[in-house]
Amino acid sequence: MFYRQAGIRYTSYPAERQLWPLGIERVLMGLILALALIAPALLSPLLLSSYLLPWVIWSIAALGLNLLMGGAGQIHLGYAAVMAIGAYSATHAARAGLPFELSLLVAGLASAVIGVIFGAAALRIRGLYLAIATLAMQYIVDFAIGHIPAISGGTQATVATPTPRILGIPVEGPVGGYYIALVVCIVVTLFMLNLRRTSFGRALAAIREKDYAAEILGISAFRYKLMAFWTSSFIGGVAGAILVFCYYRSVSPEQFHLETSVQLVAMVIVGGLGSVLGTFLGAALILLAPLALSALVASLASSGLPIGSDLRAHLPLVLYGALIVGFLIAEPLGLAKLYDNARKYLLVWPFRHARS
Amino acid sequence: MPRLAPTDAPALACRGIERSFGGLKALKGVDLEVRPGEIFGLVGPNGSGKTTMVNVITGFYPPNAGRVALFGDDITGLAPHAITRRGIARTFQNLALFKGMSVLDNILVGRHIHMHPSVLGTLFYWVAAVREETAHRTVVEEIIEFMQLQEIRHEPVEVVPLGLQKRVELARALAAEPRVLILDEPMAGMNQEEKEYIARFILDARDERGVSVLVIEHHMDVVMAICDRVLVLNYGETIAAGPPAEAMASPKVIEAYLGHSAARRQLRAVS
Repeated sequence: MFYRQAGIRYTSYPAERQLWPLGIERVLMGLILALALIAPALLSPLLLSSYLLPWVIWSIAALGLNLLMGGAGQIHLGYAAVMAIGAYSATHAARAGLPFELSLLVAGLASAVIGVIFGAAALRIRGLYLAIATLAMQYIVDFAIGHIPAISGGTQATVATPTPRILGIPVEGPVGGYYIALVVCIVVTLFMLNLRRTSFGRALAAIREKDYAAEILGISAFRYKLMAFWTSSFIGGVAGAILVFCYYRSVSPEQFHLETSVQLVAMVIVGGLGSVLGTFLGAALILLAPLALSALVASLASSGLPIGSDLRAHLPLVLYGALIVGFLIAEPLGLAKLYDNARKYLLVWPFRHARS
Repeated sequence: MPRLAPTDAPALACRGIERSFGGLKALKGVDLEVRPGEIFGLVGPNGSGKTTMVNVITGFYPPNAGRVALFGDDITGLAPHAITRRGIARTFQNLALFKGMSVLDNILVGRHIHMHPSVLGTLFYWVAAVREETAHRTVVEEIIEFMQLQEIRHEPVEVVPLGLQKRVELARALAAEPRVLILDEPMAGMNQEEKEYIARFILDARDERGVSVLVIEHHMDVVMAICDRVLVLNYGETIAAGPPAEAMASPKVIEAYLGHSAARRQLRAVS
């Protein structure tokens, strides 16, 4: 097919370690980037603001979570709380008159600091116990936001976010918001891609696989677990801020409840732990699947099946659960692995076996 | 950080090491001294405390009593990652390679203490990290060549046969450029040919790279062939020490391995 490795010879180590070693893949990536850049001109405003924009933003958040779960092997069930901290601190910083760029930085730092405090639990506990500790973070942050009027603006309150200004120029509408999200998404994506070929990423992977062997190679588990939580929470905070500034345009506590955390974990697992491409695929599937499902249920309901509104409201959660369980059983490495299988098949097609 | 030590200081010196687990005294005052450039064997029956001794030296189990010194520097009670930075590397009895990473990446992790990992360095890979990665890749490629792993460098480490995995782990330890290399049963589960390969690599590592080696090994033929001196442990106590032929012929050692009557027969045969 159009995929071929034969005949490619590298003459330097950096060339061998480039992100997309095959020419065809570089062309493909360039094409996707170009499409992403001109998307506002191609898509209707409705498609852009209700499908593409949330996909880009949730991909940023899921990438941040994947750094922690796939990269460093630490589970986090309270990632929505991390995003909430970023969302609220950016909103309040911007309302206090800070420029948007600095508000994003404030969001990242606030989330990183609080995220590291809860992540410190990971130094002593792992697996199921860490899951419970991060779940506690979700509830504590929910509680703190809901009960401190200075943060939430009062019970059941919604705080409007100011219009983001880049270098003093107001960026309005879904198109502006889309470009802000896209730039952040590209930066985070590049970071995640580079993780695989730098010593920092290898140190995290070493901690994930065997922490005692990592220690004996000079990698302090203490330091690197905290760094993983710090970096991941920073990305989460920025993603939360982007979400409320560019998509919701207001911030309220119910945007960041446990369901959102579960949704993010589902994106990472369905997409593929540790895979950048998988994260994008996972985010797309988790965002689109409920829409497709409710369309299906709606058509079933209109054709006379007795389906209550309760069931319809909870079906997406059932679906996330089913997807997570299904992928963990059938393909634990997620959509990324499915893509990889197809890629490897095409690399040697029409033959069946070859060293990849 | 490594500092120049007086040349007469032993590479590794342990004095009166004691360590217990609950009521079990695993080590009861063991002395051990590895001289610079020496291959030192640590032998003994199962459960005699060999691996515990290594875990004490590398900082996994801080000793209850006694001191550990590396080229004259006291390293007792330091964390394992800090001890590694002083110049000790080790391999594990049961392989401890990082699954999901290639052979090359596994060995590159061994370079960790010589690199400067950072979040910003990862984000701006093209600015500085690429040069660092390339420099260390060059070093790792030398080790890959030294250990003859060229064929498998891009394979995921978990698909490589066991004998080669042991070699990858040894390569990863050497990548840290240690002054003292500790090998915990590097030949467990190997056939004769693989054993000879590893023995050759250990000798070469000592001769070409100047490391001092502390090796735990059950294969007595190998111990006899490559070790300059040995220490025999039994139930956490030293029962013999010295050149391998002498130490292994000691009645206490024969008794520990083969029991009372064997030791008596041996004595009668000698006299």
